[in-house]
Amino acid sequence: MRKLGAILAGVVLAASSVGHALAQDGEPIPVLVSLPITGPVAAFGEHSRWGFELAFAQANEAGGIDGRPIAADFEDNRCNPAEGVKSVTQALSQKDYVVVLDGLCSSATLAIMPVIERAEIPMITANASATAIAEQSGVGGNKWMFKVNPADSGLTEAIVAWLDKEGKADKIALLAEDTDFGRAGSDGFSQALKKRGLELAAVEYYQQGTADFTGVLTKLKALDPNSIALYSIAADFQNLIRQYFSMGMKTPLTGRLILSDVPEEILKRGALDGTTTVQPYTIEVDTPENEAFVAAFEAMHGVKPNLLSFESYETGRLLVDAMERASAIEPAALRDAIESASYPSILGTAIEFDDNHLAHNNAVIMRVTDGKVEILGFSGT
Amino acid sequence: MNVDFVLQLLLNGLILGLIYALVAMGLSLIFGVLEIVNFAHGEFYMLAAMGCYFLTAGAGFGYWGAVVAVTAVSVCVGFVLYEVLLRRLGGRDFERSILLTLGLSMVLQNGALYLWTATPRMTTTQYTYESVVLGPVQAPLVRILAVVLAVISFVSLYLVLHHTRVGKAMRGVAQNRDAALMVGIDPRVVSRLAVAVGVGLSGVAGAALAPVYSVHPLMGFAFLFKAFAIVIIGGLGNVAGAAIAAVALGILESLASGFFSLVVVDGLAFVLMILVLLVRPHGLFGGGVRV
Repeated sequence: MRKLGAILAGVVLAASSVGHALAQDGEPIPVLVSLPITGPVAAFGEHSRWGFELAFAQANEAGGIDGRPIAADFEDNRCNPAEGVKSVTQALSQKDYVVVLDGLCSSATLAIMPVIERAEIPMITANASATAIAEQSGVGGNKWMFKVNPADSGLTEAIVAWLDKEGKADKIALLAEDTDFGRAGSDGFSQALKKRGLELAAVEYYQQGTADFTGVLTKLKALDPNSIALYSIAADFQNLIRQYFSMGMKTPLTGRLILSDVPEEILKRGALDGTTTVQPYTIEVDTPENEAFVAAFEAMHGVKPNLLSFESYETGRLLVDAMERASAIEPAALRDAIESASYPSILGTAIEFDDNHLAHNNAVIMRVTDGKVEILGFSGT
Repeated sequence: MNVDFVLQLLLNGLILGLIYALVAMGLSLIFGVLEIVNFAHGEFYMLAAMGCYFLTAGAGFGYWGAVVAVTAVSVCVGFVLYEVLLRRLGGRDFERSILLTLGLSMVLQNGALYLWTATPRMTTTQYTYESVVLGPVQAPLVRILAVVLAVISFVSLYLVLHHTRVGKAMRGVAQNRDAALMVGIDPRVVSRLAVAVGVGLSGVAGAALAPVYSVHPLMGFAFLFKAFAIVIIGGLGNVAGAAIAAVALGILESLASGFFSLVVVDGLAFVLMILVLLVRPHGLFGGGVRV
C-alpha cells in the first residue's frame, strides 16, 4: 500500500512537472518599455510604442521565441528623469523583466541607466540620442546598456561635414530645447565646427512645452545667420515651424528636423527651401525592406511611421534576433546575445555594437528643394 | 539699437499679452465670483481648441462658425460644471475646490489623450498662411484675429460687469455673498452664470488660438500656470487687473527674449509674481474689490 502511494505520488509529481513545462512553453517573455506616454513629447512616445508593438506582433505571429510570446509592458516616464527612475524601479520590483527598452528622452534614459545596471538587466535605447549615453556604456562603465540609434555627435559631424563641403558651415545659429537632446545637439555642432575653425553664431535654449517663439525668432532674424540649426521635436517643433513661416523668415534651417512633421502647405510654398537636415531615418528611403515596414506599420496603426517608430521597430527586431540566439531567456544571456548582434537594418547596413555598445547605422542627409524633400545621401556615423 | 527690431518685439509682445489675457480672463472671473481656483481651466481651453480643430477639419465648418459653436458649447459645459460639481462647494471649501478641479483636469487631459492620442494637430483656416505687413513689422493674420477676439471678449465682459444688472449682481456676490443674498440676489444663479461665462471665455480662447498653436491634449498646461501668475499679479479675481497684467507681461517677455536668453523669459512671470506678492499681497489691482 505504501509502495502504491509512492508510485501515485511519483505519477502526480511527474504529471505536474510536465504540466509546468507545458505552461512554461507558452509563458510570455516580459519586456519593459519606458516611454513618455504623457507629457510634452507624448506624441513621440506613441510612435515609439507603435514601432515596438509591430515588431513584437510580427515575432509573436511567427511563433514567438520557442513558442513563448513577447509581452511588452509600457511604463510612462513623462520624459522626466525622476519619473523614469521611479516607474522603472517600481516595475522591476513587481515583475521579472528580462530586458528594458528605449527611455526615448536622453535625460530620462541617462537617469534610468544606473537602475538597470544595479538590477543587472540589459537595456537598449532606440531613440535617446545624447552622446553621453554611449560614453557611459560598454567600456565606458555600464555593461548592460546599449544604444541602437546614432549618437548626436555622429549625426552632427555628418551634417556639419556635408554643410562644410558645400561652403555653408559658417555663421550657424542654434535653437534647441533645454534637455540632454538639445544640449547634445549644441555640443555636437560646437565640436564639429571647432574642428573646422568655426563656431556657432548664437545659441538659444527653450523649455519643453514652450508655445510661443516669436521673440526668439525675431532675435535670430535680426542676427541674420546663414542658417539656423534646430533641435526641437513634437508640438514645440510644429509651433516653431509655423511661427518661422508666418514671420516671413527665409534663413535655411539645419540640425535635426523631422520634415514629415512640417505642414505640407509650408513645404509646398517653398518656405523651407535650402533646408539641409540629418536624421537616422526618413520614410522616403527607397528599399524593399523599408516599403514592407511602412506598409505593415500603416496596416497596423493607420498612420505612416516616423523615425521614432522606425528606431523602435528596428530595436524590437534586434531584440527578437538576440532572443533567438541567446542561450537562455534571462538577462545575462540576453546581454551577451545583444552584444554580439549583427542585425540587418532596413537601411541596408548591419547593426553592430562597438566597445561603447553604440551601433553606427547610417545617417540620412536630406534637403528641401522646390518644396520637396530629397535624399542627398547617406553618411556614416 | 535697431528701431524696427524693437517695434517688432513690441508688436509681438502686445499680441502675446492679449493672448494671455484671453486665457486668463475666465480664470479670473470664476475666482472673483466663486473664490474657486479652476485648475481645469487649461483643459477647457484645450477641449475648445480640439473642438475647433475637429469642426474645421472634419465637419465642414468654416472658422467663424467653429468659433461660435465652440463658444456656445463651452458656455453649456460651464452651466453643467457648476450644477454637477461646483454648486455644493461653499466659501470654506477652498481646499476641496482645488482637489476637485485638479482631479477634473487630470480626467479631462487623460480622457483626451485616450480619445485623440498625443499627436499634435494643426487647425488650418483660410487665414493660416497669411500675414499682415505694416511697414517694417509683420504679424500673422491668425494672431491678429485672436487679438480681435480677445479685445471683443474683454470689452463685452467689462460692459456686462459694469453696466448691466447681471454684471452688478456678479460683482455684488463677489464682494459680499451674504449681503448680496440680503438684497435679493440669488448667489447660486449668479455663480452658475459666472462659471458659464468663465468656461465660455476659455472656449473663445481655445477657438481663437487653435489656428495659432499646435492643438494637442497637453496644450492647456503651457498657459495655465502663466495664467495663474497673471491672475495673481493683476489681483486675484480682478478681471481688468488680469488683462492689464497679461498685456504688460507679454510685452516684457517679448522685449526680454529679444535682448536676453530665453531662460530668463521663462521665469519672468513667476519672478514678477513673487515680487508683486512681496510688495502688494493682493496683487497690483486687487485692493480687496474683486471682479
